[in-house]
Amino acid sequence: MDAFVFVFGGAFMTATPLLLAALGELTVEKSGVLNLSVEGMMALAAAIAFMATYNTGSHLLGFAAGAVSAMILSVVFATLVLFFMANQVAAGLATGILGLGLSALLARSYEAFTLAPLSKLDVPLLSDIPILGPILFHQDLVVYLTIGIGVGLIAFFYRTRAGLILRVVGENPHIAHSLGFSVMKIRFRAILFGGFMAGLAGAYASTVLTPVWSQGMIVGRGWIAVALVVFGTWRPLRVMMGAYFFGAALLGELAVQSGGIAISSQLMTCMPYVLTIIVLAVVSRDAVRIKLNAPVSLGENYRPIG
Amino acid sequence: MMTPMPAWRMVPREQPAVKALAAVPLVTIGLTILCSVILFTALGSSPSVVLYNFFVDPFTSAYNIGELLIKASPLILIAQGLAIGFRARIWNIGAEGQLTIGAIAASLIPITWSRSESALILPAMILLGATAGLAWAGIAAFFRTRYNANEIIVTLMLNQIAFQLLYYLVTGPLRDPMGFNFPQSAPFPDAALYPPLFSGAGVRANLSVLITILVSLAAWILVSKSFSSFRLLVGGIAPNAARYAGFSGSRAIWISLLVGGAAAGLAGVGEIAGPIGKLQRILSPGYGFAAIIVAFLGGLHPLGIVMAGLFMAVIYIGSDSAMLAADIPTSAPVVFQGFILVFYLAAHVFVRYEFRRGSSLAPGRRT
Amino acid sequence: MNVLAKTLTGMALSIVLSSSALAAEKLKIGFIVPNPIGEVGWDHELDRGRQAVAEHFGDKAEIQAVDSVGEGPDSTRVMNKMAAQGADVIFLGSFGHMNDGLKLARRHPDIAVIHAGGYLQHDNFATYAVRHYEGAYLAGMAAGYATESGTIGIIAAFPLPEVVGIMNSYVLGAQSVNPNLGDVKVVWMNSWFDPAKNKASAESLVSQGADVIFSLFPGTPSAVAAAEEMGVYVTVTLSDNTRFAPTRHLAAIQVDFRPIYIAKVQEVMDGKFTGNDTFAGIKDDAVGVAGLSPDLADEQREAILAKQEEIRSGAFHPFQGPITDREGKVVVAAGTSLDDGAIKGMNFLVGGIDTTLPN
Repeated sequence: MDAFVFVFGGAFMTATPLLLAALGELTVEKSGVLNLSVEGMMALAAAIAFMATYNTGSHLLGFAAGAVSAMILSVVFATLVLFFMANQVAAGLATGILGLGLSALLARSYEAFTLAPLSKLDVPLLSDIPILGPILFHQDLVVYLTIGIGVGLIAFFYRTRAGLILRVVGENPHIAHSLGFSVMKIRFRAILFGGFMAGLAGAYASTVLTPVWSQGMIVGRGWIAVALVVFGTWRPLRVMMGAYFFGAALLGELAVQSGGIAISSQLMTCMPYVLTIIVLAVVSRDAVRIKLNAPVSLGENYRPIG
Repeated sequence: MMTPMPAWRMVPREQPAVKALAAVPLVTIGLTILCSVILFTALGSSPSVVLYNFFVDPFTSAYNIGELLIKASPLILIAQGLAIGFRARIWNIGAEGQLTIGAIAASLIPITWSRSESALILPAMILLGATAGLAWAGIAAFFRTRYNANEIIVTLMLNQIAFQLLYYLVTGPLRDPMGFNFPQSAPFPDAALYPPLFSGAGVRANLSVLITILVSLAAWILVSKSFSSFRLLVGGIAPNAARYAGFSGSRAIWISLLVGGAAAGLAGVGEIAGPIGKLQRILSPGYGFAAIIVAFLGGLHPLGIVMAGLFMAVIYIGSDSAMLAADIPTSAPVVFQGFILVFYLAAHVFVRYEFRRGSSLAPGRRT
Repeated sequence: MNVLAKTLTGMALSIVLSSSALAAEKLKIGFIVPNPIGEVGWDHELDRGRQAVAEHFGDKAEIQAVDSVGEGPDSTRVMNKMAAQGADVIFLGSFGHMNDGLKLARRHPDIAVIHAGGYLQHDNFATYAVRHYEGAYLAGMAAGYATESGTIGIIAAFPLPEVVGIMNSYVLGAQSVNPNLGDVKVVWMNSWFDPAKNKASAESLVSQGADVIFSLFPGTPSAVAAAEEMGVYVTVTLSDNTRFAPTRHLAAIQVDFRPIYIAKVQEVMDGKFTGNDTFAGIKDDAVGVAGLSPDLADEQREAILAKQEEIRSGAFHPFQGPITDREGKVVVAAGTSLDDGAIKGMNFLVGGIDTTLPN
């Protein structure tokens, strides 16, 4: 395994939990809701998925259990912001704390347990191509599926009526309402989908990426997912590229260190974060283009009148 | 096509309901007690012991009340700063990093003059810490106003960079030369520590609590009396309207982030010149994030924030106490905190809305 | 005068401690560890110490244990609560508990506080540490034998002196048996805890040609499990990790706090407890090599175990000169060996390690 393949092939795996969660959060934000509980949802799902996979030996059941647990948490969040009209930032943080607590509590007797890794799939012929083969065509199933979900979301947002309605709800819930759409229902579904995706993300992190259970193992990945949505200026393709870029930057730091290049390792550890700020500044320079994609009603609750 | 008419309607109140405001804590605590009886019984602990430790024990001794104040102080201080920005819808998520930078900068003084007894040390630390927090947040303001870069992301990323800077400094240049190269600075001289507020063995509440009170008062006056908070509000929410009226949206961004950063930096000074007494690798148990919740629990109002900060502190102190007294797992209090916050947010709806039965006409008007 | 005063205080303290132990009949012992207790690693080993105390003293001790008490000003509340509930002995499991623990000891002269990994002592505040570096030399020998590529990779969190000491001793051990050893590669995680990054670090080192990995205080077995997956040998600190890498576990530096814990509690019961420092190694059965791979040849295994006995008897010291640093400067002169102070505060890298330390 050479360093180039390690960085650019490994980046897919590193990016997958970030991307799954970010695509979910993107959908939620497109509907005008800011859900900051991604970290907590991922943590809960990571715990539940790990326990399920450990006890059944099935990654599929693990992913299912993780997704369901995060969806339940997302229902708590949805209830707070949609029914009780709670501030979205506060509700997200509160739900997130609940998720982090439950995660640590439920899986406390699984500390440092390990799972068998998920096998990688080789695409016949293509995976034999030098360099590109092992980078692109030697990944696990979830990596491919995640890219598929991303492509599906692009089609959903820009090619389907339901996607258009979702965007209208995020742009202007009053108009959506006056057109006869239920803002509540649409936002609820978006939040539920966000929970589902954060659940898959958490499940991937604990049962495939690591795969060891440790309390607090999500260590900020949910927050990076939230950051990626803004970084990608609310466009699925850019979010996907951003996640991959971030994954590659994280691994690039390790590759530079293990290659013995004499740069302060702490400086290197900062690089992904510094680069993110710089790239964000570059892509955001044009305020008009940002406004085209940012959901106008993001963070505002909407209460139907009458 | 209209949605089916609900039997109950939520109608926003013109004035927050005072009665409901009083009911919120009761409803919250009631629901939390119900949930925790289930939770702690399932864990095999006595719910009554747990609840006593959560809600009563924090008030039972001078020591515990001191702990309450020392815990609430940074939460309130940071939340007051953040609330100014949040009211203008400027989302500073980077208070943790600003706190870290404030602490680092302030620590340079006692580390450089480690034997000084000068009375100027502490004021200089306060000034430097607040300025450094302000400058760190200023980076986000610069990127937001100059390049339109979203401040949520920039402040989040700046957190990570601040932590790495701290790790670098405590494992390298700022570590205690007499400390076997362990990752912490030399302990600060007494002149660099906030004097204790009360005498009494081990009571840790110190003068930084007074700073928090002063800042809270200042914030209250600013909000209730001053025109500038209105300008901030307008500048953040409707930059175009603000510009039309002669105010600048970017000024709102600068003010929000700088004030938030300064408050967080000040809180950082409070930690290193208070309970910690030196620079070390861990400075805050997440005050910067918890303060976001405090700001919202307090309804973004300076007085509400004081109450919310004290409330959060009770939960923290109660958690530590319950953990030992009732032998519950360390993670159980976090779940408990989550329940309390969720229920609080749910119950708070009754302050801002009333539930009415019957037909729907215009909101807030009854026929 | 000063000495006299100190002795008197010490005596008075002993009387107080023993009488309180007598009065309460049962000795109340509190244990605080910084993280959740897993199957291997630091907190697991500390907890094994606690279990040994419970078993050894049976009815004579009443035990209270709290895990996941991280460092920082909040840990002091847990300590104070234990003190308020009448603890006679408190074991603190993290270096980060040092300052708050010391304050606690000063306020409660009747409580014996025993702290892991620090460097400050007080009349009733004792410290203990184990000589990881002794075991590291042995694990390093195993790595030197096993590597075919001549490249060893080390994953560590932060360049703390104890970590640097372990790293140096390990590399010296590897060099002692393998003259063809290339530069040892290092990844600093710069994170106190991140299982996914730990695993990625192992992969990164393997991608650079390392065929033996050393996971140094990772707080998670994920790099060990990753080594098994990638088919490279792995060595690890603190606990035998064979269960996480059944075919690829080369050697572990096994620590054992049980003898230290039992001795300390016994001291308190006998009224002999003082605020001293314990630095226990192979000689005290507190450190040893464990989980040696069956892939090592018999004579290699025998050489490692023979070296262990040499260290035990004092015939060999991992840091005996001549030792040169990266720049070729002599850091330990021939005929001398490093003293404990220099080992505990180690701040140089021996030649052959390809990384840098902050100054």
